[in-house]
Amino acid sequence: MSVTTAPPPKASMREFIRKGKPPTEDYRELLFELEAKGELEVQRVPEPYVKVETKYGRKKKIPLEQTWHHKSCGQCGHIPGYSTAIFWLNRKLGYEYHDPRDQTSCTAWNYYASSTSNSGAQAAVAVRNFAQAKLDGFFPMIHCGTSYGHYKEVREEILHHPKLRDQVRKIMDRLKMPFVFPEEIVHYSEWVHVVRKEIAEKQVLDFSGITATVHPACHYHKLVVEDAIYDRELYDGQRTAIVTALVEALDAKAADYSTWHDCCGFGFRHILVSRDFSRSFATVRKIERMKEEADPDVTLTHDTGCVTTLDKSQFSTQAHGRNVGIPVMSDAQFAALAMGAHPYKVCQLHWHGVDMKPLMEKMGIDHEKAWQEFEEVASRLKDNGTEFMTWEDADA
Amino acid sequence: MPNLPVLVIGGGPAGLEAARGIVDLGYNCILVDKADFLGGNPIFADYSAITPDMRNAEEAMDEMIAKVMVNPLVDIRLNTTVAASEGDAPHINVTLKNGKGEETVDVGSVVVATGFQHFDPGKETQMYGYYEFDDVITLVDVERMLKGGNFIQPSTGEKPKQVCFIQCVGSRDRQIGNFWCSKVCCGVATKEAIEIRHLLPDCRVFVFYIDMRMYGFWEDELYWKAQEEYKVNFIRGIVTEITKRGDTVVVKGEDTTMGRPMEIPMDVVILSIGIEPSEGTKEMAKIFHIPLESHGFIETIGGALNTVETKVSGIFAVGATTGPADLEDSISTGGSAAMKACAFIRKAELQTV
Amino acid sequence: MSIYKDAKYQDVPYEEKQKLFQEVKDDMRWDSVMYGCYECGICVAACPSARFYDFSPRVFAQVMGREDIDTFYELLNDSVWDCSQCFSCTRCPRQNNPGAIITIMREVAVNHGLSSAKKALQAYSRIIYKIMSTGTQVAPDMLQPDFFPDWGPDVKNVSENLDVWRRAIPPETMHTTELAWDVSEKTRLELYMIWKLTGNLEMIENIDEGIFMILEEVMEELLEEHGYDIDDFENVLED
Repeated sequence: MSVTTAPPPKASMREFIRKGKPPTEDYRELLFELEAKGELEVQRVPEPYVKVETKYGRKKKIPLEQTWHHKSCGQCGHIPGYSTAIFWLNRKLGYEYHDPRDQTSCTAWNYYASSTSNSGAQAAVAVRNFAQAKLDGFFPMIHCGTSYGHYKEVREEILHHPKLRDQVRKIMDRLKMPFVFPEEIVHYSEWVHVVRKEIAEKQVLDFSGITATVHPACHYHKLVVEDAIYDRELYDGQRTAIVTALVEALDAKAADYSTWHDCCGFGFRHILVSRDFSRSFATVRKIERMKEEADPDVTLTHDTGCVTTLDKSQFSTQAHGRNVGIPVMSDAQFAALAMGAHPYKVCQLHWHGVDMKPLMEKMGIDHEKAWQEFEEVASRLKDNGTEFMTWEDADA
Repeated sequence: MPNLPVLVIGGGPAGLEAARGIVDLGYNCILVDKADFLGGNPIFADYSAITPDMRNAEEAMDEMIAKVMVNPLVDIRLNTTVAASEGDAPHINVTLKNGKGEETVDVGSVVVATGFQHFDPGKETQMYGYYEFDDVITLVDVERMLKGGNFIQPSTGEKPKQVCFIQCVGSRDRQIGNFWCSKVCCGVATKEAIEIRHLLPDCRVFVFYIDMRMYGFWEDELYWKAQEEYKVNFIRGIVTEITKRGDTVVVKGEDTTMGRPMEIPMDVVILSIGIEPSEGTKEMAKIFHIPLESHGFIETIGGALNTVETKVSGIFAVGATTGPADLEDSISTGGSAAMKACAFIRKAELQTV
Repeated sequence: MSIYKDAKYQDVPYEEKQKLFQEVKDDMRWDSVMYGCYECGICVAACPSARFYDFSPRVFAQVMGREDIDTFYELLNDSVWDCSQCFSCTRCPRQNNPGAIITIMREVAVNHGLSSAKKALQAYSRIIYKIMSTGTQVAPDMLQPDFFPDWGPDVKNVSENLDVWRRAIPPETMHTTELAWDVSEKTRLELYMIWKLTGNLEMIENIDEGIFMILEEVMEELLEEHGYDIDDFENVLED
């Protein structure tokens, strides 16, 4: 009658199969309902798109091209290789995109730092950007994790508060722009995720000796959990697969560490004016743990704030004898390097804090030659006061 | 002798008590179970000792099963499920299905005793890593080990030095959608904690909880006993993540008494998974058109004053089909339903006379 | 009167504190950010700020649930600025959102020009000016060694080579030093309209009058250039 009193099966023998309905409402249904009532316009994800599985098993559409690149303040401001790498990947894979001047910041960095704004302003800023994208004929692709998380928050507020919708409508009327909301809020790292095999096909560097630790952004997978990509093959579908899937596709090793779930310590306001918190937290809880437990060659993340915090926290703490010194970059820069992108002309690694040279050597990149090539272009630009580096220069 | 039998669906503790009650009253009973054994979850999941009596579970169930097997009025159908039903009580035409085919029977009333299933920790909002780490196990895994008289760290096979229980996994949670308290896990975890301390006197045992639900005599017989005699450590604060540092799993939570975050390495982490309506319960609700209440369990009418009658005339539901239930609840409702199911048939017969 | 003997801000009138408390509760988002709290501590467990500061999202949820006006006022002035707004606390099984409760509390603090809010945002106000007037938060010319001495020698290198290095970035929109990317005038105009229509500019007045005056001037100028009167934009959020 009784079966066996053996010890429990090992984790590798346990398989998670999600049963039952998702515990959340489907925001797409609510969006379409509002559209049917004439309250707003839903911008559909254009074809071609790829469907990926998200946390509760629902499928999310990720467009491959015709994307409106919603840029990030921090990336464009002080990590320019991050944005450049994203554009470069699109260009190399042959996907058409638009890089708008008619774009404002999502302003969420400021909102989370200082609360010198309100739901109405934040929603209006979001909808204005979305309306502009639709008018330009492209589908928004969000570069920053903060923007992505914030726009998910805005979506929830718009879906559940008719008063807010009225306010936004009044504002859009004054701006003479339509009230548009995209069917999906898509983060660029989700695009990288769905094209990772194409990236791997064009890979020219050997990453098999590279160990990377992954840091998932809080605003990607914690703030409104529904949208994040999960994969049964990775972490048994229990942790988000984003970035880790890319690392594996590029044949590098994704090493785990005990503070994987922890925030990086960005703090929005703290990183600018209370940096003791950010750098202490990033050093003690993230970098030192990664070094002790995984000793990675690089740590990868997919958000502006995370790259900033993890990268910029290591210099001063090194002076205090802490165990730091892991290069930090985004998944886009990592993928671009794999495909042979120039480390300085495209990935702009000279804007990063932690020394990248040992990593580049391990990747097989002649960084001295590369820096010479960059300096050549730079000196040309110095002499001719109006010239810029072109995409052709970057690939030469 | 009345002709129409009572159909009891499910041979767990509640179903067995109902069946025994029905035949003791002199009525016929058809007892159906989908497994090839009687006893339900305590046998299926290899429970070691029942809560709070500490009595051997298999022995206790054998006693209940024997009482039913010995009585010729009980028609036991193992490996059988209910496939369909037609008509209203007291003349319900039920289709039973087993390996050999289908058969229809005429019954006067029905007792649904299809019990519960355990919550799958993969659906939990907190990151517990049940599918990633060998040393994260559940209450059910522990029962199985304790029944065999041992308790080991799954990854090494060695005796653990430090283990913990995490309460309320899959219960009391708006995000997952299981709003209820599963009622038994605090008692079961404490019982298991006592058993582990008994087996391994050098092993420290922690219980991370939100509230210890210790009803009635469980308070001193389990909770005080665990703390005072067995030195089980109860820490108020639930765990948000389990990660791995080297070879050891680490739990991360807040020690709310001390008001600060804590991170503690553990040899074994035991998830106190809660109760959910079983697939069988949901199936029977569909087949007999029994409405469910807001949490997804079978709805009973009359609230606290009527714990076994459903909205469908002649159909009764017992044990964990109507909500979280402990062993005492299952036995009590089993008995109550036996009485009502028989009374229902008797009233119907008296009317036709 | 607080139930705690050593409570701070006892000199501030109770009605004043209660008014601010009510404002937090009147926020549109309140019903979806605060349910009940059974003190499980998951929020503190996940919180980065709780490890560094004397800060507890659990305390915030409890205080708001208990409607403890006096302690609320203390939190509003002290630890509300410690939160790192990561929203790890949204693991809450009751579906409370302590991070969002804090966002709302901060808005109330800013709207009322509390001196604690002004102090917390003192070093930060130039960022407010940047984001509101240009539409991007960070600009490359802010990477100065005196502002970021702890970030490392790369900051010095960047600031010394800023002009050339910014032109040495392929995307055309990023050939800027005063902005993160080149925001079009039309977009800036639309942004200013949004700030006026949502009362955002007036919020800044409570925090930093100097920044407010400069901002107002800049906004007025651009609006006038395009034939708009800054006073024509009433706050649509007020009714």
